[in-house]
Amino acid sequence: MADERRSGSPSGGRGRGNAKNTKDGGQRRGMFRRRKICKFCTEKVDYIDYKDAKMLLPFVPERAKILPRRISGVCAMHQRKLQTAIKRARQLALLPYMTD
Amino acid sequence: MSQIRQYELVYIMSPDATEQEITDLHTQVESIIARYQGEFQKTENWGRRRMAFRIGKHREGTYVLEVFKGTGELTKELDRRLKVIDNVIRHLIVRVDEELRVAERDRARRQAETQRRIDRGLPVGGPRRGASDDDRDDDQADGAEV
Repeated sequence: MADERRSGSPSGGRGRGNAKNTKDGGQRRGMFRRRKICKFCTEKVDYIDYKDAKMLLPFVPERAKILPRRISGVCAMHQRKLQTAIKRARQLALLPYMTD
Repeated sequence: MSQIRQYELVYIMSPDATEQEITDLHTQVESIIARYQGEFQKTENWGRRRMAFRIGKHREGTYVLEVFKGTGELTKELDRRLKVIDNVIRHLIVRVDEELRVAERDRARRQAETQRRIDRGLPVGGPRRGASDDDRDDDQADGAEV
């Protein structure tokens, strides 16, 4: 009921949101970045195996650098595990250190 | 007093090594494990595979995995021996017990959570925030503001 009363008079933050929403035609209030999902969390992987090079390959694209988590969306815990797995795989020449 | 832990050993044999040499080395490893009161668990021969980069003058090698339980002294001895053998172009010993324990714990915890949800008649799989389509809208909104 409080909402109904307020809807007539545009208040600060709310007004800005509305202006944006009319352009979009959406009803969203908050602003979120696109939520990336952690591949390992959704697939319920507990142990990231350094021996499984095929599984690690998508995380070392092109230059064979480890894909940053801001791009892959992997959660912090799994990125840490992924990192050690990739480094171990590299020692065994299962993954490259670099490509030219 | 050193502790018994679980280890994984992977070594890469030179592609010139014969079948005989590979099995010889495997039995050698096994005997070292036995000598240090370790417990040999399993072995896996991945066969010849191409390496991601050259090591020395080799482009491929035969990978062998050994899983065993033992003390730190045992791994030290294995490490020393493998370094000396010319046919082994690379080897890696990794302690895995801790990681496997953590993985096991996580699995058990998730299973308990699923069970709890089933018992209470809640949807299994946990709440997920925001559907992907909504999020895409948000991204556009972000762009419009900048």
